[in-house]
Amino acid sequence: MSRTCSLLWGLSDVEEKMGLRQSLQGADVPQARTIYLNEPLRNTFCENSISTAKYSKWSFLPRYLYLQFSKTANAFFLFITVLQQIPDVSPTGKYTTLVPLLVILVISGIKEIVEDYKRHMADKLVNSKNTIVLRQNAWQMILWKEVNVGDIVKATNGQFLPADMVLISSSEPQATCFVATSNLDGETNLKIRQALSETAAMKTEKQLSSLSGKIKCEGPNFHFNSFVGTLYLNSESPISIGPDQILLRGTQLKNTEWILGIVVYTGFETKFMQNAVKSPLKRSKVEKVTNMQILVLFLLLLVMSLVSCVGAILWRDRYRAEPWYIGKKDYDYHSFGFDLLVFIILYHNLIPISLLVTLEIVKYIQALFINWDEDMHFKGSNVCAMARTSNLNEELGQVEYLFSDKTGTLTCNIMTFKKCSVAGIMYGQSPCSISDSYEFNDPALLQNFENDHPTREYIKEFLTLLCVCHTVFPEREGNNISYQASSPDEAALVKGAKKLGFVFTARMPNSVTIEAMGEELTFEILNVLEFSSNRKRMSIIVRTPEGQLRLYCKGADSVIYERLSENSLFVEETLVHLENFAKEGLRTLCVAYTDLTEIEYEQWLVMYKKASTVVQDRIQSLEDCYDRIEQKFLLLGATAIEDRLQARVPETITSLLKANIKIWVLTGDKQETAINIAYSCKLLSGEMPRIQLNANSLEATQQMINQNCQDLGALLGKENDLALIVDGKTLKYALHVEVKKSFLNLALSCRTVLCCRLSPLQKAEIVDVVKKQVKAITLAIGDGANDVGMIQTAHVGVGISGNEGMLATNNSDYAIAQFSYLEKLLLVHGTWNYFRVTKCILYCFYKNVVLYIIELWFAIVNGFSGQIIFERWCISLYNVIFTSLPPFTLGIFERCCSQESLLRYPQLYRISQTGDIFNIKVLWIQSINAIVHSFILFWLPAKMLEHDMVSQGGYTTDYLFLGNFIYTYVVVTVCLKAGLETLSWNKFTHFAIWGSIMIWLGFFAVYSSLWPTVAVAPEMTGQVNMALMCPHFWLGFFIVPIVCLIQNVAWKSIRNTCHRTLLEDVREMESSGVQVLRRDSARRWLETQDAPEVQAHGARAGGPGAARGEARRGRAGRSSARWEGVGVRAGCSPPLTQSRRILPVREANATPDAPPVECGTPGHPDLGGDGVTGFERVGARTDAGATRALEARHRPSLPLCTPLQPQVSRSAAGGYGERRRRSKLAAVLRGDAQLGLLETNSRRTRLLRVWKFPDSSGGQPASSAGVSTHTMRSGPQGRLSPGAQLWVFACEERAGPRTHLLADP
Amino acid sequence: MKRKSQDCKSRLPDNSAMKQQQLPAFRLQLSANEILSGFFATGVFCLGMGVILLLSAKSIREIEINYTEKCASCAKLREDATNFDKECNCSVSFYLPQKMEGNVYLYYKLYGFYQNLYRYILSRSNIQLVGTDVKDVRNCAPFKTSDEGLPIAPCGAIANSLFNDTFVLLYNFNSSTQIKVPMVRTATAWWTDKYVKFQNPTYQNLSHAFEGTAKPPNWPKPVYELDEEDPRNNGFINDDFIVWMRTAAFPTFKKLHRRLHRIDSFTEGLPAGSYSFIINYNFPVSKFQGQKALVLSTLTWSGGSSLFLGLAYLVTGAVTLLAFFSMMAVHLKLKERKTFFLQ
Repeated sequence: MSRTCSLLWGLSDVEEKMGLRQSLQGADVPQARTIYLNEPLRNTFCENSISTAKYSKWSFLPRYLYLQFSKTANAFFLFITVLQQIPDVSPTGKYTTLVPLLVILVISGIKEIVEDYKRHMADKLVNSKNTIVLRQNAWQMILWKEVNVGDIVKATNGQFLPADMVLISSSEPQATCFVATSNLDGETNLKIRQALSETAAMKTEKQLSSLSGKIKCEGPNFHFNSFVGTLYLNSESPISIGPDQILLRGTQLKNTEWILGIVVYTGFETKFMQNAVKSPLKRSKVEKVTNMQILVLFLLLLVMSLVSCVGAILWRDRYRAEPWYIGKKDYDYHSFGFDLLVFIILYHNLIPISLLVTLEIVKYIQALFINWDEDMHFKGSNVCAMARTSNLNEELGQVEYLFSDKTGTLTCNIMTFKKCSVAGIMYGQSPCSISDSYEFNDPALLQNFENDHPTREYIKEFLTLLCVCHTVFPEREGNNISYQASSPDEAALVKGAKKLGFVFTARMPNSVTIEAMGEELTFEILNVLEFSSNRKRMSIIVRTPEGQLRLYCKGADSVIYERLSENSLFVEETLVHLENFAKEGLRTLCVAYTDLTEIEYEQWLVMYKKASTVVQDRIQSLEDCYDRIEQKFLLLGATAIEDRLQARVPETITSLLKANIKIWVLTGDKQETAINIAYSCKLLSGEMPRIQLNANSLEATQQMINQNCQDLGALLGKENDLALIVDGKTLKYALHVEVKKSFLNLALSCRTVLCCRLSPLQKAEIVDVVKKQVKAITLAIGDGANDVGMIQTAHVGVGISGNEGMLATNNSDYAIAQFSYLEKLLLVHGTWNYFRVTKCILYCFYKNVVLYIIELWFAIVNGFSGQIIFERWCISLYNVIFTSLPPFTLGIFERCCSQESLLRYPQLYRISQTGDIFNIKVLWIQSINAIVHSFILFWLPAKMLEHDMVSQGGYTTDYLFLGNFIYTYVVVTVCLKAGLETLSWNKFTHFAIWGSIMIWLGFFAVYSSLWPTVAVAPEMTGQVNMALMCPHFWLGFFIVPIVCLIQNVAWKSIRNTCHRTLLEDVREMESSGVQVLRRDSARRWLETQDAPEVQAHGARAGGPGAARGEARRGRAGRSSARWEGVGVRAGCSPPLTQSRRILPVREANATPDAPPVECGTPGHPDLGGDGVTGFERVGARTDAGATRALEARHRPSLPLCTPLQPQVSRSAAGGYGERRRRSKLAAVLRGDAQLGLLETNSRRTRLLRVWKFPDSSGGQPASSAGVSTHTMRSGPQGRLSPGAQLWVFACEERAGPRTHLLADP
Repeated sequence: MKRKSQDCKSRLPDNSAMKQQQLPAFRLQLSANEILSGFFATGVFCLGMGVILLLSAKSIREIEINYTEKCASCAKLREDATNFDKECNCSVSFYLPQKMEGNVYLYYKLYGFYQNLYRYILSRSNIQLVGTDVKDVRNCAPFKTSDEGLPIAPCGAIANSLFNDTFVLLYNFNSSTQIKVPMVRTATAWWTDKYVKFQNPTYQNLSHAFEGTAKPPNWPKPVYELDEEDPRNNGFINDDFIVWMRTAAFPTFKKLHRRLHRIDSFTEGLPAGSYSFIINYNFPVSKFQGQKALVLSTLTWSGGSSLFLGLAYLVTGAVTLLAFFSMMAVHLKLKERKTFFLQ
C-alpha cells in the first residue's frame, strides 16, 4: 500500500506538467471513510510512512530517463544517437553524440540525486521518530511509519503528532489541549482543542481497550480548518466531531501533559501532506522563445541537409559516376534518404546539446543568489528570500503588470486599535492629523463612562463585547496577560479593551472571565458562531452574569447593517463615522448585540444540533442555521483598526512605477480603505483624476464603461495618468463576455487600478484576463490564502511570508518577507537574470552555429560527401568541454550594470521588460553574425593552406591539419566573442575565457600523441607538433579572430555612438570613477531607520509625533533626493546616538560621534572642477549635467528636494585623475558642524579624520546668515589602502549626515 | 521539526563578495581613445605584417609544369585499365629563367582529385598501418580483400589509389650534356608518421611479414617492394606511400615528392637553365577530368608561397585603418558631445 502511495506521490509532479492534477482534484471527491475502533482494519488506508522524494532506488533510472527524454532536445539527440548506430551512415562515429549526451544526463542526474537524497534523508528522519501507541492492551513504543489508522496514540508535551487524529482525552481539565500549528499555517499563536465530553473520561488502557464503535468521517482533503465526522459509540446516539477535536500531523503539543487520540488519517492522507503540493509548473517567456529558436535551428538543419543532398546529386552528375579511386562496387545504395540521414548526423550539432543543462545549472545558481541576498533578509522574522522555482528567474526582469494584495502585503498586518464610535460618538484622536501614537488613547471615552454620560451603558456594553466576543486565548505570565489570537484584528480589539480597563483574563471551554473596571465577571459561553470570509462576521451567545441570554456580534458593516432591528439607534451617525474611519485607511468593524429569549434559543439549539451532525455540506447548513439567530441586532458602534504600511512601500511603488510596471491593487477590503492606502503608498496622488465604477447591474456597468471609454476618446489604449477604482460587484459584471473587452481597454488605459471587495476567485480571474489580453508578463504578490489563486495564475507568483500563514508562500514561485524587497527582486535580480540568461542562450546558439556551419563550407569542396573536417571527438567535446565555461560565466556573473544603478534608475528595467534583446529577430542577427564568422573561419585558413606547403620543411599537410587550424581559431574566436559579450569580467570570466583556450591547446597536445598507445584518434597523430611549429598557424592565430571580431567591435562602437541607450549612459557614469558605498551597509541603516524602536529615540527630538513625521519625511526625502543635482543626498536624519551601530567602527580611533555613512546612492559629485579638460576621461562630464541630461533624455522626473547644500569640492588643482594626496577641501556648512574623511574599499570603511568646527553662526537657525565656509589644507593621514575611495561627509546637528564622494585616490 | 535548530541561529546570509554578487570585476568599457588607438595599432600591425609576408612570398621561386596535355597519349593509354602493365614515358622540358637558391622541393600536384571524400577517407586501416595486425581490414571497404579472398595490405581506397608516376629531372648543363638532378626521396613525410603512425610488422624479412596478404588491385607490385634499395623506406614506412596517405583537404592539392640533393653543381640550388622531366606516366586522371602537374619550389621562413596570407593581412590592415579614420572623423565631429565608443 505504501508503495502505491509513494508512487502516486512521486508521479504528482508529472501529472502537474500534463495539467492533469487540476482536473483530478475537481473530479475526484474523496470518499468518506469509516474507522472501527479497536478492531482490525477492515479497509486498507495509506501507511503512515511518507516519501516526498521523486525517485526510489528502483524507480530512479526509468523515471529519470523518461523525464529527460520527454524534453524535445534530449529526445532529438537520442534519435541522432540511434541513427549513428546504423552502419556507415555516421560520418562522426557511433558514440560521439552518445557520450556528450551521457555526460549531460549524468550531470543533471547527479543534481537530481543530490536533491532527492536530501528529501530521502528528511523522510527517513521523520518516519523513524518514536511514538506511543496502544497495542494488545498495552502502551508500546513504535516508529511513526508503523502507525495505522484506528490506532490510539498517546503524545506528551512538546511532541510532534505523527498523524491526524481525533482527540479522545487529555491530562487537562475538560479534556482540552494546546497545539502549535506554525508548521502548518505559519500562525504563531497556540490553538486550543477540546475532546468530546463523551470520551473525555477515557484515560486508562482498560477503558480504551474496551472502547468500541466507529468513526465516520469525510475523506482526506487539504483544508486545515475543516473536519466533518461522527462518532458512533456503541449504544449511544451519534456525536458530531468537528475541527475542534482534530489534531493534525505536524503540529506540536504545548502546555499539555499528554493527550490520547484515535488516528483517522495517516501518511499522505494527512492534511499536512495534502497541503504540501507543488504549485503548477510555469515556463518563462524566454524559455518559450528558446524552444521556438531550437525549432528554427532544426529547420535550418533540415534545409542544410537538403541543400547538401542536392549538392551531392549535382556533384555525382558532374562526375557521371563515382571516380575510380573510390571503388564503387559496394556502394550502389546511395539513395537520397540515406544521404539525408548522413547530413542530418553531420549537422545535428547545430542544436546546442549542452544548452538545457547549462541553463539548468545557471538558473539554479541564480536562484541561490536570490536566496543568499542579504538585502532581502528580514531581520524582524529572520527570513531570507527564497526562490522556490528557478525557471522563472529571467521572467522577473520582464514584469509589466503587478497585482498586489493590500493587507499584509502593502501593510504590516500588525493591527492597532485606533478609534471607535460608541453610541454615535466618535472617540480617538482628531481626524485631521495622522496620529502617531500606537494605541487608542482618548481619555474622553473613560470620562464619559465614569461621569455617567447618557451613553454610559452603551460604552459598558461595547467594551464588554470587545472582551467577550472573540476567540482569543489569554496566556498569563505572572501579572502580565498576553493574548494568542489567530486573527490580528481580534487581538488588537482585546488589547484595546484591556487598556480601557476591561481586561479579558481567562478562557474556560464554556466560559470567559473578564475584569470590568476591577470587577470580575464570568460569562457562560453557550455557542460560538465562527467567523468565515463568507459570513464576514462572528457571533457568540453567552449567558451574562445576570443570567440574561445575549448574542454579541461583530463583523463587516455591510452584514451588520443588514441585520439591524428597526429599534436600533445611532445608525446614521455610526455610518458617517465608519466612512471617516475608512477614509483614514482604517479597518472597520461594526459591533452589535441582541438579547435572546430562552424559548427562542431552545428552538434554535435544536436546529443547531441537527445541522452540526450533517455529514455532507455541514458548513453550509451551519451557516444557514447561524443566519437564523443573527437577527434584530442593536447597534453599539464601530471600531477602527490601523494596519500600518510596511517599511519603504511608497518608495518601492514609486520605483516600480518608474520602471514602467503597472500596479493593480486587488483587495478584499473596502473601497475607501483601499483608496486611502493607495494614497499613502503613492499609488494615487491628489491631482490624479479617478474613475470610479460602482454599478448594480450589467446594463449600468456597460453604460458606465462605455461612457468612460468615450470620454477618453483618442487617449484610450494609451497610458494615462488616471486611476480606475472598481468594486467586486461591478467587476463581476465588467468581466461578462460582452463588457470585458471595453472594460479591459479602459483599465489598461489607466496608470493605476484599484479593485476592492474582491473574492479570491475574482482576483485570479482578473490576473487571468489581463494575462490573456495584453500578453504581458504578470506578477502577483500576496500573503494570504485568498491570494493563492492569483499567485498561481500569474506568470510569476510572489508570496510574502507574513503573519497569515504559509499558504501563499507554499504556492508561490518566490517568497520574500517584505513588499519592499520586490524592488531588489525585480529591478536587480530580474534585470540581471534576464541579461544573463538571454546572453547565455544567444551565445550558446552562436557558438554552435559557428562551428557546425563550417561543415557546410567544407562540404562544398569535398563534393558533398559528408566528410567532417574536424576530428570526431573534438566535435563532440566542443560543447561539453572547450566552450562550456563561457556560457556559465555569462549566465552567472554577467552584470549589465551595478545594482546601485539599477535601483537608482528604475528606467533601466525597461530594457529587459520589452524583451528587445532577446527575440527571433535578435536570434537571426546573431545567427547571421555566426554564419559570417564561420565563413571567415573556414575560408581564411582554407585559402591560407591551399598551397599545402606551409611548414618550414616543405612537408605537405592533410585535411585534418586544416581542421585543427580552423578548430583552434574557432575556439579562440568563440571565447573572445564571449569576452566581448561580457560586460563585467571577474576572475571566473578570465578563467573561463583564457582557460578554455588553454584547455583546448592542452587537449590538442595530449590527444595528438595518444595513438597507437591508446587506440583513439589515429588521424590526430603528430598534428600538434606540425601545427604549433608551423608559422602559418600563428600568423592565422592572430589574423583570423581579429578579422572576425573587429567587425563586432566596430559595429558596437558605431551603435553606441549613434544609437545610445540609457544603459550605455549609466555604464559610462558608473565607470567614470564614481563608486558608491556598499549597499548592504546602507540598507541595514535604512532598516534601523524604519524599525519601530527607532521612534523611541525620536522622543528626544520633540515628542513622538515629531519623530514619526521626521522619519516619514526622511523616507520621502530619500526617494526624491535621488535626483538631486549635485549628488548630495539629504533628508536622512537619524539621531546621532544611533550612528555607532551603522558605521562599522573597526578602527580604535574612530570617534564616538562619527556620523553614519549615508545610504548607498550618493549622486555623482562634481568631480570635474575647473582644471580638468574632459575629453580624455569618461568622467569628464559634470555630474549634475549628466544627471540632468539623463533625465531629460529618458524621463522627466522630480527634483523636489531642496536640501541644505554642503559644497564639498576639490580645488582646481586636484582634478580628477591626478593622484594627489593633499588637496583642499572647502565646505559650506551650517551650524555646529563636523566634517570627516572616510575611506572605503570593498571590505571595510575606515574613518580617517574628523574636523570639528565651532558654531560660528552662534546657533542661529538655518539661514544664509549661519553659513560659514571652512577650508582645510590637509589630506588624510596615513596610507590609503589600494582601491579605496575617499569620502567626505559633513555632519550637522540639525540636518543629519551627508556623504559625498570625493575622489578615487 | 528540523526547523527548531535553524530558528536559533540567524539566517542572515553570508556577507561574502561571492554570495552578494560583489566580486570585483573589470568592466569591458573602452573609451574612444582606447578604441581608436586599438584600431590604429591593429591596422598598422596588419599592414606591416602584410608587407613582410608579401615580400617573403615574393622571394620564393616556384615553377609549375602541368603535364596533362603534354602527355596526352599516355593519358589515353591509361584510361583503359587493361593496359596497366604497359609502360608509358613522356618527356616535358621547361626553362628556369632564374636560379632557385637554397633547398628546392619537388611536388606533384593533382587537380580535381577528391581525396577528401567521406568514403575515401574512411577506407583505410590504421591498425594495419601501424604494423600490429597486417590482416586488419575492417574499415577498408571496398578494397578489403583480393579476389582470392586474401586481405589486402595496405588495404582501402587511399592506399589503392597511390600516386605512382615517377619522374627523373634532367638539367641541360649545356646543349649536349644532360645531368640528372640528384633528388632525395626520403624525409618527405612527417616525423610522427614515419616513426609512430606507420610501422612495418616486426619480421626479419619484410616479405614474410606480408605473407597471406594481397597487394592492392591497382598496384603493380606488393608493398614490400616499394623501395627495395632502402629498407628504411620500404613497406608501410615508404615516404611516398606515407605522404599519399595523408589525405588532402581540397580536390586540388600538392604533395611533397622529392627534395633536391644539394651536391655538385646543385649545392647552391637549382641553377637557371633548361630542364626536362622524364615522366613514367602511370596514374590515370583523365577519367575524372583531373590534371597533373609538377611543382619545383623554394621556401622561406614561413614555408611556401603565401601570397594570400600576406594579402589578407594587408586588406585587414587597410580596412581597419579605414575604419579608424572614419571613426576618428566621426569622433572629432562629435568631440564636443564627448561621445565614447564601445559600450
